[in-house]
Amino acid sequence: MNKAGESAVDPVLSVYCHVPFCASTCDFCAFYQEKPRRGDLDRYLAAMDTEFALLPKDRVVDTVFWGGGTPGLLAAKDLERLGRSLLDNLKQPPSEWTIEMAPSAVKEDKLAVLRDLGVTRISMGVQSFHPELLESLGRLHRPNQIYTAWERVQAAGFPQTNLDLMFAIPNQSIEQWEADIREAARLGPTHLSTYCLTFEEDTALYVKLSQGKVSIDEERELQFYERGWELLAELGYAQYEVSNFAKPDAACLHNVNTWRMQEWIGCGPSAASQYEGQRYQRPSNLDEWAKGMEAGLPPRTECVDLDASILLADALVFGLRMNAGCDLDLIAKQFPAPDVLAQLEPLLSRLAREGLAEREGSKIRLTHEGRLVCDAIGSSILETIAD
Amino acid sequence: MTDLSHIRNFCIIAHVDHGKTTLSDRILELTRTVEMRDMKEQLLDSMDLERERGITIKSHPVSMVYRARNGEDYLFNLIDTPGHVDFSYEVSRSLAACEGAMLLIDAAQGIEAQTVANAHLATEQGLEIVPVINKVDLPSADVPAIMVQLEDVLAIPADEAVLTSGKTGIGIEDLLEAAVARVPSPRWADVEGLRVLIFDCIYDAYKGVICYVRVFSGSVKMGDQIMTMGDERKMQVKEVGRFSPAMTKQDSLNPGDVGYIVTNLRDVADLKLGDTITHSANPTKEMLPGYKEVSPMVFSGIYPIDTSDYNKLKSSMGKLRLNDAAFVYQSENSVALGFGFRCGFLGLLHMEIIQERIRREYDLDVISTYPSVVYLVTKTDGEKLEVHNPVHLPDPSVIEFIEEPMILASIHIPSTSIGDVLALVSEKRGVCEHTETIDGQRVMLVCNLPLNEILIDFNDRLKSITHGYGSMDYEMNGYQKAKLCRLDIMVNAEPVDAFSSIVHLDKAEGRGRALCKRLKEILPKQMFKIAIQAGIGSNIVARETISAYRKDVTAKCYGGDISRKRKLLEKQKEGKKRMKNIGSVSIPQDAFIKILKTSDGGSN
Repeated sequence: MNKAGESAVDPVLSVYCHVPFCASTCDFCAFYQEKPRRGDLDRYLAAMDTEFALLPKDRVVDTVFWGGGTPGLLAAKDLERLGRSLLDNLKQPPSEWTIEMAPSAVKEDKLAVLRDLGVTRISMGVQSFHPELLESLGRLHRPNQIYTAWERVQAAGFPQTNLDLMFAIPNQSIEQWEADIREAARLGPTHLSTYCLTFEEDTALYVKLSQGKVSIDEERELQFYERGWELLAELGYAQYEVSNFAKPDAACLHNVNTWRMQEWIGCGPSAASQYEGQRYQRPSNLDEWAKGMEAGLPPRTECVDLDASILLADALVFGLRMNAGCDLDLIAKQFPAPDVLAQLEPLLSRLAREGLAEREGSKIRLTHEGRLVCDAIGSSILETIAD
Repeated sequence: MTDLSHIRNFCIIAHVDHGKTTLSDRILELTRTVEMRDMKEQLLDSMDLERERGITIKSHPVSMVYRARNGEDYLFNLIDTPGHVDFSYEVSRSLAACEGAMLLIDAAQGIEAQTVANAHLATEQGLEIVPVINKVDLPSADVPAIMVQLEDVLAIPADEAVLTSGKTGIGIEDLLEAAVARVPSPRWADVEGLRVLIFDCIYDAYKGVICYVRVFSGSVKMGDQIMTMGDERKMQVKEVGRFSPAMTKQDSLNPGDVGYIVTNLRDVADLKLGDTITHSANPTKEMLPGYKEVSPMVFSGIYPIDTSDYNKLKSSMGKLRLNDAAFVYQSENSVALGFGFRCGFLGLLHMEIIQERIRREYDLDVISTYPSVVYLVTKTDGEKLEVHNPVHLPDPSVIEFIEEPMILASIHIPSTSIGDVLALVSEKRGVCEHTETIDGQRVMLVCNLPLNEILIDFNDRLKSITHGYGSMDYEMNGYQKAKLCRLDIMVNAEPVDAFSSIVHLDKAEGRGRALCKRLKEILPKQMFKIAIQAGIGSNIVARETISAYRKDVTAKCYGGDISRKRKLLEKQKEGKKRMKNIGSVSIPQDAFIKILKTSDGGSN
């Protein structure tokens, strides 16, 4: 990674922490997770201590994100141990610290511990307020648990909150989708994330798909996307990325950093990192990961060496998913690969000509129509860049 | 050496499917040329493709001995010939090797277009015709009606007909007796010097080029220095022999013999079918009659679907040509399809067979462009061009006129479908010159048609109009001026060369519209909208627009997803690489295939 430039372009550093335990497996989830057993938990916590100890001591860690799995599933004392262990290895507490929780696992004692640790943001996987839809997703919670959990989170007084919602679920009507959005907005979190149900390989839903029990309807998905975006704007949640909406100044900085191709270190099994010129992942297996940690040989898989042209392309591909788009001058400064931008110029101007993007000075952002086809735009960008 | 009076050289000619090859099988059995245990169906058709399609592609001579009812042994040389019009020159050369022809007529189907065409060919060659009514065992056989047709259409006395069934073996011996009694013994045996007719040749990887020959006069043996009289190519005889039915070495080939000569040549293209072989040192004075050069009539581009197969395709074409000098090819480059070959064929069936053999014998996936004929273009400056690829047609402003090849088609149909067939002929820009009644149920139309118009679906439509009872044969009928133009298909204003075609001006718009519509159905939606146009020169005659697709987005994309997401996008990019990029539109290979396979080429 280029560090020769001005200090202004030094990347921001984030830490992601993967907690690979879930009470059960949701039908749509492809993330690495296991059922929690005490022995595994202890081994996990011990290996995490080792991994945290590897964090750089000379860099400020800007944001922290605990995902999973279900981090909120850990008992209060385990959460405390994990949190202290992390803090002990950081130069200073992070400015943003998010933890994902399932509604059924939200308990007062856990929230109190998290509050004391300095967690700033609770993200809760609501998915839907309709019991039949929750059931079809294989979620364990019931709508009333969502309300109880939400009351507890609010009472604990975290500055930022997020609810995850899911749409285009089989048998979900557009009216149900609207009702879910309105209900989520009524609860008043600072942030909402909405996800189109996707059929990831190795999930129960994917199996149903391949058996023909459910089907993908692009037109229907498009309707859900557009109606969702429209309604969220009406309700005061501004879209800042394809799936993310926030009240003013409530965007998730951790995610923004990754989309801007900054640096992040992932800890825990299956966690991905982009750090010091390399992308890599820890093994998606608790035992393999823990063994490596115990032996003092942190295992890296899926390694990709990065250069300025890869990072520049990705800063565009992922940056354009954000409503703010990209500042070409800025990313050119961060990732100096002059040929790449020149190669992309005809495509970028065509995107603007065809109404898929807007340009203003060195800035480029996708229009509503462009954002709906951002995958195609992403692959065109990669396609245009000569190997 | 057999006495000339005890040699009979004959062939069996027939319309396709009238039972020619099955009848040959029975003759081989009866003369014990092939032991029963070695017998298999269609013995003489050695190629899989021949067995499967029930057609004969190459000539298959076989020598056999028949003990006649008079107690004497006769040497029979039977030449099984390809029956299809594409190979009519080959047929005529095979016929030229004989003195007699068994004209086979299906007892249920009656006289068909190729029956007549083949009978005429045989008469032209001065052959004695023995009419054979075959499949007499069929419940639908109507022998008396066929006899009437024989007299009325072919002017052959009905009482000459031999009645047979290749299936049950009825009448086979009568047929062989007829050969003894009615086929003349070998002609022209007393001309001075060696005269040998080449009626086919094949390439053998071990032996080299092997000529299938009929000796008229003189004698040829291993070691002889020989030459062709047409283009004076000299060669050495490495081996001679007969087909019994496998190649069997002999000391010499003598007057009246049908057999083979192994030469020291390596390329069948060095020899021309119909040429006369003689001794180099003391050549005979006159060539055998009827020799002419054959030139391809139909052209089409053949491209590998996987561009990396180009060299494999090249070598397989080379191998096919080793055995088929009538097939020509040269490399060509298409913007849309990449590197491939422009190929020339004798006709449509020949083209289909070559394409099928490339797919099957060489396991290659290929895509073929629209077949085209050879146009004669006269430019305003007086220069004349032969154009067999639409892309090479000069700009309309410099064309004085274009001539297209015509055919004279004889179309045999049930009388009831005459109206529909005449409508088809006129739709295809043809003119019916005269009609002839075959019998109460059938008529024959003689029509002058542009060859181009029968290339794609004429035969299929004729069959469907006549419920399978129509048949057609044709011969080339010179060139004729026509109002022709090149129709281009453009994607975002960029022409797609593979879709260009030369069409009649009156049909250009309809065809352009149909092609644009079909492309709109086939091309996948893309990120940008796509304009499809059909045009003649700068004049747009049809257009369609494919709107851009509206959704292609993944919802979830975070730090941990970036590697995965990038891989996915890379994969999509790889997929697009296999597409052809025209007018900044990625056109998948199968869109080309679908369009080019649209049987009617998009016209209605």
